[in-house]
Amino acid sequence: MQIRVGVYICKCGTNISENIDIDELIQFSSRLENVAYVKDQPLLCSEDGKNFLASDVAQEKPERVVIVACTPKEHEKTFRNTLLRADFNPYLFQMVNVREQVAWVTADKAAATEKAKAYIRAAVKRVTLHEPLEKKEIECNTDVLVIGAGPAGMEAALLLAKAGRKVYLVEKNSFVGGRVARYEEVFPKMECASCMLEPKMDEILHDENIELITSSEVVEVLGYLGNFSVKIKKRATCVDKEKCIGCGACYEPCPVSVRNEFDYHLSDRKAIHVPYTGALPNVPVLDQGHCLRFAKTDSAMVQEALDLGLITQEESENYKKQDCTACQEACMFDAITYDRQDEILERNIGCIIVAIGFELFDPSVLPQFGYGKIPEVYTGLEFERILSQTGPTGGKLFMKNGQEPRSLAIIHCVGSRDKKHKEYCSGVCCLYALKFARLAEKHAPGAKIYDIYADWCVPGKDNQEFLDSLKEKKNVYFIHTNLPLSVAVKQNKDSLSVSCVDVSGKENPLAADMVVLCPAIIPARDTSRLSEMLLITSGRDGFFAEGHTKLAPVSTNIEGVFIAGCCQGPKDIQGSVAQGAAAAGQVLSALVPGRKLELDVIIAEADENSCAGCMTCIGLCPYKAIMFDKEKKIAVVNTVLCKGCGTCVAACPSGCLTGKHFTEEQIFAEIEEVLK
Amino acid sequence: MCTGRIDPQFVLKAFQSGADGVLILGCHPGDCHYKEGNYKALRRFHLLKRVVKQFGVDEGRLRLDWVSASEGEKFVEVITDMVATVKKLGPLTTAKEELRVG
Repeated sequence: MQIRVGVYICKCGTNISENIDIDELIQFSSRLENVAYVKDQPLLCSEDGKNFLASDVAQEKPERVVIVACTPKEHEKTFRNTLLRADFNPYLFQMVNVREQVAWVTADKAAATEKAKAYIRAAVKRVTLHEPLEKKEIECNTDVLVIGAGPAGMEAALLLAKAGRKVYLVEKNSFVGGRVARYEEVFPKMECASCMLEPKMDEILHDENIELITSSEVVEVLGYLGNFSVKIKKRATCVDKEKCIGCGACYEPCPVSVRNEFDYHLSDRKAIHVPYTGALPNVPVLDQGHCLRFAKTDSAMVQEALDLGLITQEESENYKKQDCTACQEACMFDAITYDRQDEILERNIGCIIVAIGFELFDPSVLPQFGYGKIPEVYTGLEFERILSQTGPTGGKLFMKNGQEPRSLAIIHCVGSRDKKHKEYCSGVCCLYALKFARLAEKHAPGAKIYDIYADWCVPGKDNQEFLDSLKEKKNVYFIHTNLPLSVAVKQNKDSLSVSCVDVSGKENPLAADMVVLCPAIIPARDTSRLSEMLLITSGRDGFFAEGHTKLAPVSTNIEGVFIAGCCQGPKDIQGSVAQGAAAAGQVLSALVPGRKLELDVIIAEADENSCAGCMTCIGLCPYKAIMFDKEKKIAVVNTVLCKGCGTCVAACPSGCLTGKHFTEEQIFAEIEEVLK
Repeated sequence: MCTGRIDPQFVLKAFQSGADGVLILGCHPGDCHYKEGNYKALRRFHLLKRVVKQFGVDEGRLRLDWVSASEGEKFVEVITDMVATVKKLGPLTTAKEELRVG
C-alpha cells in the first residue's frame, strides 16, 4: 500500500549545499518508494522556512514527512511544532541529519552525497512505519509532603502554606525544630536559638494549611510527580493532643527513669515525657519501648534498654512488666489512653521535599580522642546540651562531677578532611567551635580554653570578625596543627591531658578538664532508606545528590522530589533555610493548581496477549515503572513513570514490549536501508 | 533513547545487512540520562561479543565505548581507530547468511 511521504531538504544556507549535491538528492529521493514529492528550501528553520513548511504540508497533505537537515537535537522540536500548526501529527515525521553527520564531516562531495542518500533511504523507509502518537495530559495533585521539621523543612512548609498549598509535615521526633532545638545560641551574633526558632515553630503549629504529623515516618512512596501516594507510620504516643494541655502532671508519678536521648543520655527522663521544657508541640509522649505496661517480655525490654545504655544493670532490677496506670491517674483531663496502636496514615500529594538533616560522625572510631571511654570527652552536640538552659545542667557549664571546668580543649576536624574517614570539610565546625569558646568563656570565667584547629574555614558575613574578636581574648589559646590532627587525649588520675603537635612540630602537652570534639557532619541515618524508597540517588559521601551542583541544588534525579538542608550536604542554618525556600519555589512552579501535567509520549508499552510474565523487565526498569499484574500474570507499564529509555524493550524475551517511536520494525528497517 | 535500548538483534541485523563493523557509543558509566541504561548495554555487549565470535565474526568488528557530548576529540579518536581496525580486517564475507535475524 502506498503511503504518501513528503521530503523536505534544507540547504542550511550553504552549510549543507556546499558539501552535498542537493539536485542529486532530490532526484534520488523522488525515485524512492512511497515518496510523493521532494522540495528544497534555503533555510527551513527560519521564519520563512517554517511558514513554507506549515502551509505546504497543509496543502500537500502528505501522510508522512521527512526533513533532511541538521541534528534533531537542534530542530526536531522546532519542526514538530511547525507540523502541528499544519494539523499534522508530529510523530509521523522523521529527521535526517546530513549536516553534523555528513556535510561537516565528510570532505569528499561525492562520498557525502552517497552517504546522505543512504540516510534518506533509511528515513523514508522508517517513517512509513511510524504511528501517530498523541500527547496526554493528566490531572495532578498540588499538595506537598515535607519530610523533616528542622529549619529547612519548616521554611519550606511555611512558604508553601502561605501560597495556599496543603502541606503534610512529617517529623520522626515528637517535636519540631530539628537539631537547632538543642542549641542555646547560634553563631556569629550569638542570638538566642529558641527565641529565633519559636515564632516559626508556633506558625507551623497554627497554620491551617499545615498538617503536622510528629512521631512519624514515611514508610511507602508510590507514584510520580503530581500523583504520589504515601504511607506514613505514626507511632502510638497514647496521649490525646486535643485533650492534653501540657501541664506535665503525668511525668512525676512515672516509675520508669531512662536516659534522655534528646540530651544524648546526659540527663534522665520518664517513660512519659517531653524531650525538653519548651518542646513544641507541648504534648508528652508515652515511650512504649520503656513503659512497664508495654514491655513485650521483661527480659527483652530490659536487655534492649541495657544495650542502648539507657539503664544500668542495677537499675534493670526495677523493670518488671506491670499494669502501671500512674500517668493516667495523674492526668486531670483523661488525655492518656493505653489502647492506642501505631497507625498508618495515607496521603496523596504531588511533590515531596526531603529535609531530614544530619548526624555526627562517631568519634569513638578514632580512639586517640578518647570518646566513649573518657567521661569528660564530649561531641559538639552533647556540649550544646550542656550549654542549654533546658539541658542536663540547666545551662551551667559543669562537668559530670558537678564542678565548673578550669580548662577546656576544643578539637576541630574530627573525622573531617581525613582521607581515611570523611574527606570533605563539614563547613560549620570552625564557627561553632568559636561559639563554644565564647560561651565557655562566659560560663566559666577565667577558664583556659584551647582551640586546636588545622585551618580556618569561616567564609560569609560577620564570621571573620567573630574569629578575630576571639583572638583578642586572653584566655583563649589557638593551637594550629597539621592534618590529620596529631592529638591524643589521655585520662590521668584526676584530670585529662591533651597532647598535640603544632605546625612547627612542637609538642604541646595541655591539661584540660573537659574536651569537646567537632566531628564530621554525616548523612542522617534515614538517608539510605529514603534514597531507596524515593529512588533518589546519593553522592559519594552518602548525602542526597542534587540535580546539578551549581544550577539545580535542590532538585534530584526524580521529578517532583526535592532536597533541602543538611541532607544535601553540610551547611549552616542560614543555608538550610535558603534551600528550604528554594525547594518551596521549585514545588510552586512544578505544579500549579488547575494546570495539567503533560506526559512523555515516547514510552514502552506491553502487549498483554504476548507477555509471558517472566518479570525480566521489572527488575531492569530504573524508574520502577513496570508493575506485575498478579491476576493476569503480566507486566504493566505505568505510562506516567516510564521515561522511554527502552532498556526493558531490548531485554523482553517474548517481544511483548514495544518502545514507541523506536519499535523493532522501525529500527530494523533503518538498519537495512542504510546498509543497502 | 539510550544504549540500554540496543537489542543485540540490532547488531546482528547490521552485520547481516552488510556492515563490516558495528560501533556502539554510549554515555559514560554514572552519566546515563536514564540512570543505568549504559550498564545494561555493557552487560549485553559482553554476551553479544561471544555470540558474534561464534558466527566467525572477528572481535574487532564490534566495539562499545563511552563518549560524552563534550568529548569531540575522543569521538574522533574512537571513530578513526574503529575505521582503521575494520579496514585492516577488510570486508566481512563469512557468516553473513548465518546471521539471519528479525
